[in-house]
This record gives sequence, C-alpha cells and structure tokens, in this order.
Amino acid sequence: MDILYLLIPFSVVLVLLIVAVFGWAVNAGQLDGFENEAERILLDEDQAT
Amino acid sequence: MANERVLVASETTAGTTYEDGPVRAFALAAVLWGVVGMAVGVFIAAQLAWPELNFGISWLSYGRLRPLHTNAVIFAFGGCTLMATSYHVVQRTGQTRLFAPMLAWFHFWAWQAVIVGAAITLPMGFTRGKEYAELEWPIGILITIAWVSYAIVFFGTVGRRKIRHIYVANWFFGAFILAVALLHIVNGAVLPVTFWKSYSAYAGVQDAMVQWWYGHNAVGFFLTAGFLGMMYYYIPKQAERPIYSYRLSIVHFWALIFTYMWAGPHHLHYTALPDWAQSVGMIFSLVLLAPSWGGMINGVMTLSGAWHKLRDDPILKFLIVALSFYGMATFEGPLMSIKTVNALSHYTDWTVGHVHAGALGWVGLISMGSLYHLIPRMFGRTEMYSKSAIELHFWIATIGIVLYIAAMWIAGVMQGLMWRAVNPDGTLVYTFVESVKATWPFYVTRLVGGLLYLGGMLVMAWNVIKTVQAGQPERVRIPLVMAHA
Amino acid sequence: MHAADADAQALAPFTTWPDGPAGVALSQLQVAGMHCAACSGLIEAALLKLPGVEAASVNAASARLALRWRPSLVALADVLAALQAAGYRASPDVAAPARELRRQERRQALWRLFVAGFLMMQVMMLATPAYVAAAGELAPDLDRLLRWGSWVLTLPVMAFAAGPFFSGAWRQLRARRLGMEVPVALGIAVTFVASTGALFDPGGALGHEVYFDSLTMFVALLLLARWFELGARHRAADALEAVASSLPMTAERLSDDGSSERVPPEALRAGERIRVAAGEAFAADGCVLSGQGFVNEALLTGESAPVAKAVGDAVVAGSINVDGSLVVAVQRVGADTTAQGIVRLMQQAQSQRSSSSGLVDRVAAGFTAGVLLLALGAGIAWWWIDPSRAVAVAVAVLIVTCPCALTLAAPAAWLAASGALARRGLLLTDLSALERLCATDTVVFDKTGTLSEERLQLCRHWAAEGVDGDALLTVARSLATLSRHPAAQALADGRAGTWTDVREVPGRGVQARDVTGKLWRLGAPAWVSERPDPAARLAFGYGDRVLWLDLAEAPRADAAKAVTALRAQGQRVRLLSGDQPAAVARMAAVLDIAHWQAGATPESKLTAVREWQAAGEHVLMVGDGINDAPVLAAADVRIAMGQGAMLARSAADALLVSNRLMAVPQALALAQKTRRVLRQNLAWAALYNLACVPLALTGLLPPLAAGVGMAASSLFVVLNAQRLAR
Repeated sequence: MDILYLLIPFSVVLVLLIVAVFGWAVNAGQLDGFENEAERILLDEDQAT
Repeated sequence: MANERVLVASETTAGTTYEDGPVRAFALAAVLWGVVGMAVGVFIAAQLAWPELNFGISWLSYGRLRPLHTNAVIFAFGGCTLMATSYHVVQRTGQTRLFAPMLAWFHFWAWQAVIVGAAITLPMGFTRGKEYAELEWPIGILITIAWVSYAIVFFGTVGRRKIRHIYVANWFFGAFILAVALLHIVNGAVLPVTFWKSYSAYAGVQDAMVQWWYGHNAVGFFLTAGFLGMMYYYIPKQAERPIYSYRLSIVHFWALIFTYMWAGPHHLHYTALPDWAQSVGMIFSLVLLAPSWGGMINGVMTLSGAWHKLRDDPILKFLIVALSFYGMATFEGPLMSIKTVNALSHYTDWTVGHVHAGALGWVGLISMGSLYHLIPRMFGRTEMYSKSAIELHFWIATIGIVLYIAAMWIAGVMQGLMWRAVNPDGTLVYTFVESVKATWPFYVTRLVGGLLYLGGMLVMAWNVIKTVQAGQPERVRIPLVMAHA
Repeated sequence: MHAADADAQALAPFTTWPDGPAGVALSQLQVAGMHCAACSGLIEAALLKLPGVEAASVNAASARLALRWRPSLVALADVLAALQAAGYRASPDVAAPARELRRQERRQALWRLFVAGFLMMQVMMLATPAYVAAAGELAPDLDRLLRWGSWVLTLPVMAFAAGPFFSGAWRQLRARRLGMEVPVALGIAVTFVASTGALFDPGGALGHEVYFDSLTMFVALLLLARWFELGARHRAADALEAVASSLPMTAERLSDDGSSERVPPEALRAGERIRVAAGEAFAADGCVLSGQGFVNEALLTGESAPVAKAVGDAVVAGSINVDGSLVVAVQRVGADTTAQGIVRLMQQAQSQRSSSSGLVDRVAAGFTAGVLLLALGAGIAWWWIDPSRAVAVAVAVLIVTCPCALTLAAPAAWLAASGALARRGLLLTDLSALERLCATDTVVFDKTGTLSEERLQLCRHWAAEGVDGDALLTVARSLATLSRHPAAQALADGRAGTWTDVREVPGRGVQARDVTGKLWRLGAPAWVSERPDPAARLAFGYGDRVLWLDLAEAPRADAAKAVTALRAQGQRVRLLSGDQPAAVARMAAVLDIAHWQAGATPESKLTAVREWQAAGEHVLMVGDGINDAPVLAAADVRIAMGQGAMLARSAADALLVSNRLMAVPQALALAQKTRRVLRQNLAWAALYNLACVPLALTGLLPPLAAGVGMAASSLFVVLNAQRLAR
C-alpha cells in the first residue's frame, strides 16, 4: 500500500487547509448568526431593466 | 455587522445587471446533453439484451459506448446543470454580477469542447480505462483549464458579493469545485506515450486505491455536494419558503466534509486491497449516513406546513422526490459497503441499480426540477411553456426509475446468489452463462425503464424549446437597495 | 472645547473612535418605527444625505443602526432630526460593546470546538487501521506513517483548542487552588508528550502506545460541553441587553402651565409628568394620568402581546407605548426603575454563578489532590510491574478521575433552571436560592401590591331611593379624573368633562363646580354628606343627591390559582398585611387563605416570621419590598414583586417582574426538579468515577475509553440539565 505514502500526507495537508478555511469563515463573521439568511434569498424576484 | 450590506455614500451602482448569458448557455446545453447521454444509455442497455445491436461496428461496441454514456450523463448533463445553476445562484445570492464574464464564456466553450472531444475519442477506443476518468490526457488538460476558469469565475464572484453572508448553497458549490479539481489532478497523473495514449502514474492495487479514492469522492463532491447546493437554493425558491433549518444546513455541510474522504475503499472489498483498508472504508461509509440524511430531512421539511403545494406544483414534485431518492441511495450505499452485504453485491447488477437510483432519482430529478425553475426565468418568464408537460415528465420519469431499479435489484441479488451457490462437493451450481440467461428479462425491463426516462427527457426538451421560443432573454437588474429581511 | 468634550462623553457609551478622538466615529443606535423591509434602505439613504455621515448600515432584523460619521461636521441632534423627519426614532445602543465581547467569545469558542472536533474525526480515521488490522497485517512503516499523520493533526488541537485548559490550570495553580482544570491540563499534556515520545522513539521510556485519538476526542467533547454552557449564558445576557438598551433618548416633560420640553430621561424627577407618544418608549416608571392605549411590556414578561393600560395603571421604563398618547406621572427614575433594577440584579446573578458553586469547587479541590496522588502512585507502582504501561495507567487515572462532571453539575442545572424561571418572569438573583426553595414549607404573602393589584377597584355603588346611581357614577368618574388621589383613580375614566374651580382638599377629597355652578364633592363619605353611609368607602354628591361607593382591592388575576396550587404542593399559605382587618379578611376569604394577620407593622411581621422559623418552618416571603424590607431579609427565601421601589436596594433572592403569582408554585416545583437533576448528575459523576478508577488503576481501562467516558459524562451532565430549561 505504498500509495498511502502519498495519500496520507496529502490528506493531512488538505485537512489543515480545510481548518484554515473554517478559521477564515469564523473570522469573517460567516458563522455569527443566521437570523433571516434563509429568508433573504426569497425576497428578491428578478426585475427586468 | 456580518449580515448587513453597507451602503457607502460614494457607491452608485445604478443600472448594473446580472450576467446570465453563460447561465442560459449551460442550461440549454444541459438539456441537450441530457438527451444525448440518456439516449446512449438506452442504446447500451438494449445492447446488453441484444448484443447484435453493435452491428459489428467497433465504435458502437458496448465497451466503448459505456464510458461515453457515463461521461455524458455525469459531466455533460450533470456538469452543465451544475455550472448553470452555480453561476445563477452565486450571482443572485450575492447580488452581484458574474466576475470575468468573458472567462465564463471561455469556460462554457472549453467545456463543450471537452464533451465533444469525449464523444469522438471514446467511441474511437481511446481510453485510460479508469472509471469516470476515461478521457485521455489531452482532454484531461483541457478539463483542467476549463475547471480553473470555472473556479476563478465562481470564487471571483463570491469575492465581489454585496451581501456579506455567503448563502449555504455557495459553500456546497465551492467545495464541489475545489474537490473535483484536486481529484482530477491527482487521479489524472499520467505518463503520456503518444497523443492519445498514456499510462497511469500509479500501478496495480495502488492505482486501484487512487482510482476509487477519486471515484467515490467524485460521487461525493460532484454528484452529492454540488447538487445539494442546487437543492438548498431551488427548493426554497420554488416552494417560496425558507429552508427548514438554516443552522442545520451549515452543520450538514461541515459534517459531510468531515467524513467523505475515507469512504473510497468500500469499492474494493474482497480485492487485493488489504483487509484493514477495506474495513476502514466500511466504517466511514456507515458514518456518512448521518450527515447525508440530515441534509435530506432539512430539504424535505422545508415543505412542512405546505405539503399541499406538492399536489399542484410538478416542479416541487421533482425536487422533493429527488430528495427521497437521495435518502434511499445514501442508505443503500452504506448498507452495500458492509463486507457481508458486499460479498453478495459486488460485481452484480445491484451496484448498477444503486448507481442509477442515485443518478436517475437524485441527480436527474433535482437537475430537472432546478432547470424547470431556472430556464423560464432566463427567458423573461416565470413559468415553463407547458405545466402539464412537466407533470407528464415527472410521472414518466418516476415510473421509469422504479422499473429500472427494481429490475436491477432483483437481477443483482439473483446473480449474487447464483454465483455463490455451491454444491456439496464444492463445485459451482451455476455456470456464469446461466446467470446471464437468467438476467435477460431484467435487462429488458431495465431497458423499458430507461426508455421511459429518456422519453421524459424528450418531453422536457420539447417544453424547453417552446419556452425559449415564447420568451426572450432579458437583462435583469441587480437590486440597488437590498431587501432586508 | 468643553462642549465637544461633553458631546464626546455623551456619545461614549455607544460610540468608538477607531482612529483616535479626532477621527471618524462609529456609533451604534437602536432604531424604532421600522415596519417593513424597505425601511433599512430609506434610513440609510436619509442619513447619507447629511454631511459628515460616511456610511450608514441598518440591520433590519435587529433594528440596529451602525453609523460611521464625523461629529465635528454634524451634530447628533441633526442626525436624530433627520431620522425623525424620515419617520423613525433612535436610541443609543449602549449594549453594543458587551455584545461585541460576547460575539468574540462565541467566535473563539466555535473555532476551538471546530478545530478539536474536525481534527478528532481525521485522527480517528488515521487511527482506525491500527485497530482493525490483524497482527502483522499493517507494515511497521505504514503504521508509523499513520501515527505521524495523527501527530501532525493533533498539533493544532494542542495549539488552538486546548488553550483554555492550560491557561485555566495555570491560573488555578498560581492562586494555589486545585480546581478541575489542573487534572485536565495535566492529562492532556502527559498524553501528548507520551504519545509523541512513543512515535519518535518507540523503544524509549515513554512506551510505544500512542493516544492521539483519545486526546483529541477528550478535548473535543469537553469543548462541546463548554459550548452549550456558553450558549446558555449568552442567551441570558441577550435577554438582559434588551432591557438595558430600551430607554428612549429624550422624554417630553409637561409643565403645569401646559408647555412641554424634551429632556433626557436622567433629568426627570418623581412627581413630574411626561407625555409618551405612540411608538415611544417610556423614560421612567410611572402611573398613567390620562389617555389609554396598549403597551408592549416584552422586556419584563417576554410576551409581546400588548397590555391594555388605562388611567391609574402602572407603566415601566423601557416598555413601548404601542398606540395612543399617554400622560404619565413619573414615579421612579434612573437606577430606581424596574428596568435598571433588573439589569443590576441579573448582573449580580451572572457574577455570582461562579461563587455559588463554591462548595462544589472545594470538594473538587480535595478530590483533585487525591487524584493526583493516586495517579502518581499508580504510575510508580506500574513502573515496577511493567514500565511500558506506567504512563498509560497514570494518564488513564488522571483522565477518568477528572471532576469535570462534578464541577459542571451544579452550574449547569442552576443556569438551566434560572433560564426557565426567567421566561416565566421570575428573575433569580441568587442561584443558590434554588436549593433553599426546596426546603420551603410555608409561603407568606403581603397583601397590597403583592396578592392584589396596586390599584383599587370599584366593587359596589348604590344610592338612596329616587337617585339615579348610574348617572351619578358617570359624573363621578369625570370628576375623579382630575384627582390625584389613589382612591379616585379607581373611578377615573379619562374624560375630564367640564368642571371649574377644582380643588383638592387634603384628607377629604376633591370638589369642583359643574356647568350649572353647583359644588360637587368626591371623597370621604363624612365630608360629602351629613349622613354618611357606614358601608361606603367613598361618596360623591351634591346636597341630597349622593352616590355611595365601595372600593376594594382586586386580587391579581392568578392569585387564587396560585394559592390553590401552593396548597396542593403541601405548602402552608399565610397572609401578613398592614391593612385594616376588614380588607384583609375579605382578601383572605376570596383567596381561601385560612391564616391571616391584619394591622401588622414591619416589626410585628418580623416577629411573626421569626416565631414560625423557631417552630421549624422554612419561610418563603413574597412582598413588594416597600415596607417589607426587614421581614424580607429575615425570611429563608425572598421574592420581591417587580414594581417594588425598594428592589434596587432589596436583598431579594428573586424578582417577580411579570407579577404573575403562578410563577411562585412553578418555581417551587422547578426547584424540586432541579435538585433531582442535580442529584442525578452528582450520582452519575460519582458512580462513573467509582467504577472506572479501579479499572484504570489495574490497567484495564485504556486512555481512549477513559477520555471518551470522561468527556461523555461531562456532556451527559450538561444535557441532563437542559431538561430543566423548558
């Protein structure tokens, strides 16, 4: 299973990158609170020019 | 102030419109390739019942056409649908215009080139032999270029959004785009020999491991995460109700990311792959059940209190029934990853049944529902040309799916039992050919199911053409004052 | 220069200057009057027209305005005027800094929890092959690779997620206290060091077993428990904030000559009159003098269904006048208002949270000392028996005996219960009162303002033969409107009619002339008529035409129900009042209270309570705090009614802001339930430790199981406590 010498370090790096993305999300306030986010997409209907 | 839009005094973005050209193009292409991919599928299904249908012509042979079918339905039909909807959703939820529209058009044409390239090279026999990754390296490079363009346009649009909060669907799309890029590059590593021939950078069981790490994550991120993104936008929009629990959708996303990477080995049970690797794959496939069902429940419960809408709205039928098939497939998958079950199911048509429950049931129906919502709006209308055609499509498709998977379940279990039936003296009871003969009526039934499904797709194509003729592309203004909740 | 300083000071509670005092200001305001989605855009557009306003952002969901502006170019008054012109009102959002702090706290907790949880999953995946592989199936190199991967993924957990445990332990050690964080930190540190050693030097002294999976799971589950606790704490603080930021920026004060001026709430004094327009918040506690309408008292009761208010009704600072213009007599301002009192009491409760678990902390300290010795002893013992297992055993002992569940048990239960009570309008200031409530067997009520509404009610009116009582009543009501006397207020209907020459005669009543010039009197029966009817409390008349009135206190709507419920719980219910025997007897009869005392002075109330306590009773006193302060202090548990002026200085254990007496039996029931849950939690924690410690000592409990068990038991305790939160 020599391929794991590639896949495992690769997964580790990937996992750390994902953690970094989550860190960015927390810092950017993406996870602060979701009041009304679900409704927001319903509010605008396309209006032509 | 994470949720507000800051209206700065100097900002005067009056008159900006969304860039829906690529959305329109991808949406229509999706319908076209859906018909093509499903037609090829019907054809090869017929071939399994009547092998003479290859007419002795090499480029009509089953071995060559099967990858054409899988690539066409997954990457052409599924891919174009994902690209159309992701470009649509990222603009509408961010209330901003597409980043680098010219690059988006390049992406469109490059992708069509990939598809046409596949349609030419696969029947000609040029193949890497790796499932869902058959296309040879020149097309592989083109895919990479198209995909990088896609990523730039999508993430660029996210970057210039006016709404600070990134709607959950975009997280799913984003993960899908990045994951597929990664998977494609790793599994696409080859040593080219000639223009149309290369050898995988990996060998033997190592290659198998990489292949199925790719394969299962392709299912997980291309066919699941991407379409979940679609679901999280188009179900609320069509039902005119917010998603049941927004918090759950976020948790769902991260939970899925947590567990997907290691389920791959379940494709390799009872192979040369070490036992422990197979066990790891089995365990984490079972763990995957929870987040998958969380997402399904979230989508279905969005209709809570408004089930009556299902009666009158065929588009909602597509979307909700799609989720039921998603639930079914994500239960069946972990079940089949259990070694004892797998001992029966591996290499049988049960696997084919499972794939098509997910493909026809989940991917197909959610795509159709989303396109039915999207396409009229791309042509200045709110409804398709014919609502009863949508209803007809829904019923034909659903019956087709049921016939298909029922046939394959029965065939699969039967095959498994026949293959392992052993006489008291240790010899096999049945020869392989006997199992093939016994499967034949189920191949025919499956063909009927597939024909129905294709028929539904043709009804859709007709409806789309009529809708396009009746409407016209309009430029849609981006709202200046954000409609706060 | 001074004016600017004064301005800066006035702005300070809700403004920050990120670039220094001369630069741009960031102010947070609360906007009132928003009723639709488009309002945000209108407000933003209106404000951007002003010079000096650089950016305006309105969050429609919370009605908060974030203003980026230059005070040197435009005055706050102009900003408010622009808002008013657009049809909105604003008040300072003084809770913004605290809210920001809470947000930072939550973000940090979420980040840590994710790092621990996500990496725990990945480490588990990497660890699984070693568990499922048969002997010899996993090549040593591959095994090492998997462990290396686990180690790399554990590093962020140590660096980011486990921080609070180490800093907490350090703080405790510096204070020479052995709290619960010490064994946790020690366990984590030892596990990590031992596993790292085993990874890089398998033949070395630290053995060859790695425990990265136990470690990450342990940290993740502990952080999960803390996450739930944080949520509960923040929810309480959010509710508090709604109260704190509810005062309006100005109030319209009416002077006796009919003119009015707008003043800040701080400038109001008791006795003054203010006019509160529709949509405005009340600037002070007071009593309605004229007008009627509906008021939103959500900040007190949590109910947003508007409450009808008419002349004589009490209103509370911070509540919102929904419709109708009201003139209010100011009774309590500033720190005395119910709103501020609530803020203060809850802040007390929040900070008390840690100290009220002092007993448990002390237990934990002794426990921890014992644990450390045990772990040390086990480690040494095993060093003799089988050195390669010494570390594992010591770690397992440390982890499994951690008193986390023990320390979480009480606060988790009390916080959940206090949240549930707060929703019913009973705000606990001393969480340990929940324990004392369990022992209560006697409930003593005050009458006026506690069992009864503050306002008197007309219960009977009659007149002599030939006199039209009803017509007279209507006339009486209109005269009563002009009187400030509380008895008259029971009659007043808000329509002043045409009276001239109005005069209040102290101790007697009010008199005035009607359109025909006749002099009417409303007041003491003896003053209105020469032949007073002894059954009447009040009279209204002119000459022979006299209307007799009897007023009584109205019991609160749920008073009877509450008394019945208390009796059903086995409580003795008593009534102690300073009022006349007749009135007290009547109230006792209506509410079916057998044991009552009238004419009680504060001293005699105190004596009575002490007597009962000497007889072995545990007394819960419910009073409005005005003249009950001494006796409230003597009782075992003290509940003060929400409108009591003394609440700011009272020693009440709880504040009944909703004035719903049913909360009292509910609190008693909840206290019992809380004690049951607390006992369940403690029993579980003890049982768990008793079972697992021997296993750990004998080496039969691997650190993974120890970690899982310990963290799971903490989680169990927190979740069990949530049953009280409903």
